[in-house]
Amino acid sequence: MILSFLQHQWKAFWRSKNTGKSVAVRVVMAFLLLYLFLNVVVVAYFLDEILDELFPLERVLDAFNGILLYYFIFDLLMRFQLQELPTLSVRPYLALRVSRDQIVNYLSVSSLWTGFNLAPVMLTLPFLLKQVLPYHGVGIFWGYLLAIIGLTLFNHFFSLWFKRKVNLNSWFLLAFVAVVAGLGLLDFHWHIISISYVSKLLFTHLYQLPVLAFIPLFMAIAIFFINYKFLKNNLYLDELRSDHSGEKTSTDISFFNKFGVAGQLAATELKLVLRNKRPSSSLKICGLMMFYGLLFYPNPAYGVGFGWKIFAGMFMTGIFIINYGQFMFSWQASHFDGIMAHKIKALDFFKSKLILFYSFSSITYILTIPYVYFGWKVLLVQSAMLLWNLGINTLIVLYFATRNYKRIDLSKGASFNWEGVGASQWILSIPLFTLPFVVYAPFSLLGQSMAGVLCIGFVGLAGMMTRNFWLGLLVKEFSEKRYQIAEGFRNE
Amino acid sequence: MIEIKDLKKTYNGITVVDIPSLQINKGESIGLVGNNGAGKTTLFRIILDLIRKDSGVVLSKDSNVSDTDTWKDYTGSYLDEGFLIEYLTPEEYFYYIGSLYQVSRADIDVKLEAFTDFFNGEILGKKKYIRDLSKGNQCKVGVVACLMQNPEIIMLDEPFANIDPSTQFRLKNMLKQVAAEGQITSIVSSHDLNHVTDVCKRILLMEKGLIIKDIQTDGNTLEELESYFSVMK
Repeated sequence: MILSFLQHQWKAFWRSKNTGKSVAVRVVMAFLLLYLFLNVVVVAYFLDEILDELFPLERVLDAFNGILLYYFIFDLLMRFQLQELPTLSVRPYLALRVSRDQIVNYLSVSSLWTGFNLAPVMLTLPFLLKQVLPYHGVGIFWGYLLAIIGLTLFNHFFSLWFKRKVNLNSWFLLAFVAVVAGLGLLDFHWHIISISYVSKLLFTHLYQLPVLAFIPLFMAIAIFFINYKFLKNNLYLDELRSDHSGEKTSTDISFFNKFGVAGQLAATELKLVLRNKRPSSSLKICGLMMFYGLLFYPNPAYGVGFGWKIFAGMFMTGIFIINYGQFMFSWQASHFDGIMAHKIKALDFFKSKLILFYSFSSITYILTIPYVYFGWKVLLVQSAMLLWNLGINTLIVLYFATRNYKRIDLSKGASFNWEGVGASQWILSIPLFTLPFVVYAPFSLLGQSMAGVLCIGFVGLAGMMTRNFWLGLLVKEFSEKRYQIAEGFRNE
Repeated sequence: MIEIKDLKKTYNGITVVDIPSLQINKGESIGLVGNNGAGKTTLFRIILDLIRKDSGVVLSKDSNVSDTDTWKDYTGSYLDEGFLIEYLTPEEYFYYIGSLYQVSRADIDVKLEAFTDFFNGEILGKKKYIRDLSKGNQCKVGVVACLMQNPEIIMLDEPFANIDPSTQFRLKNMLKQVAAEGQITSIVSSHDLNHVTDVCKRILLMEKGLIIKDIQTDGNTLEELESYFSVMK
């Protein structure tokens, strides 16, 4: 039985739309995975030297002990955010002649196959082999390994159980991140409290008495059975769903009302963004992206020139256009027939997209104004890039949207979801990332970088002023492609 | 009202719709019947300009539906859930539809009151998104949204399929009333021969893309259709 479960899951993976049908997507996916894997291997191999660099005053093993607890707190956080609950896949089996125990066993065991469970072992094993085994002996080596595996499994089943039990919304997660970040600051920066002290305390005991490794293992077994029991008692279709549907309210976003039909469409699309899993996670990315400047602005390594500032400014003010816009109109695939058959002019449809883009970009622009702290030039670049995003990038994104025929299921999460990804997204990124530099580079080479930035802003402004002309062309393009788009969206 | 000439649509070499000529007059109530794959939904989609036809024209009030948008002003349609916006509450959806057709919220509220019986307390004020409604209730939302546009043409694809018996009776009565008033042209497809012969005054029978029968409903129509479908292999 388990064998045929596994067989079905194998087929489900390879035949799933998320896996991506086209060869190009698969190749890129394989490269990405390989790249991630290599990163992990490299980090793991040099972990002792990295630790030595970070904590020069401490013994390597102490430093290692000090970060372990942090790792597992972060691990838990990432799991809350990214780990998928293996639920709906059991649906066809519930009514067949398969015992509940078998199904629950299968659910528990098959959920183990995830990168989250591989990563801790892969990250620490080389370190343990290099530093612990030769200098501290076999007993301690096994103690560490068992403890790490135990904690990993504990995190695994705990997050599964917790996610099913509690409705985790993003605010909860944000609060969790803030708390962890705060603790980290208090710990490493201000040295007020010390998680690393607790971590050291715990793992030093382990060092002295490797048998203690059985404690995390027992914890893992205990939570496994709690999860097992919970699953078994709740193996009903309506209760297995990961999202608890609470009361939904009707809202009216009156800000958009003054823009007529286009405004109504924009308001409806805003609800699309807020009420569905995948688009709302792209909104969260917008929030995170606003900290992008911190990577570039304070760092003297990126120089006094404008190059990196242009890059950062484009992302911070335009991330919604880029990240949400790249999948346009796929978001509306499930009701695209309605959009076509109802009384909606194509021009209004396009205008509604612009309204949405303008609103989000303006918000991120206003929120990133405080970066002026790093000099007025930063604000200048951000302003120029805002104009560029509104004037040029919106049009590029919308043009590519008329060539995107892939359906997106709104209810699926965003992480590792390849549904709707096709060649058009890869090609789209080329003009998006290079065009501002095409404008800027000639000025920069002549030593007139300031003029280059102004020119970017000016071109963007020109694009905004002439947008009706471009929209007209887009509408024409759209009406030629409309059958193809609708046809593609109908293919589930 | 609607005129079809030389219409042809093929998928992978198989003809799915082939209608040399069809004339639908104002106020007619058309019932579209045929087995799965006969081309009913494809015909609907072509009339609504949702799929490209290989040849021929569809004229709505003498203008080509592929070239102009004006037919959208007076055509209300509900083919499937693809017409609903699943992440809105039913109320929000009705207001959205209203805003497209310049019907104010207050007017929408008044119109919705007339459908209280039809909704049977399952749609409004339930604090659910459309995606959380059952198929039958989704169908109710779609049909009502279509009627609220003050349409001159109504097009419904298998509206009876998922709704409960009481709602079927109410929907039938609504459609009959529409037909009796003679102002609105309606095209309704169904697999339930009793319903279509009861509601529609003219029946189009499709088989493999062709309209093989075009009959005015009378006492014998039901029998005629039943005998056709019972000998089909």
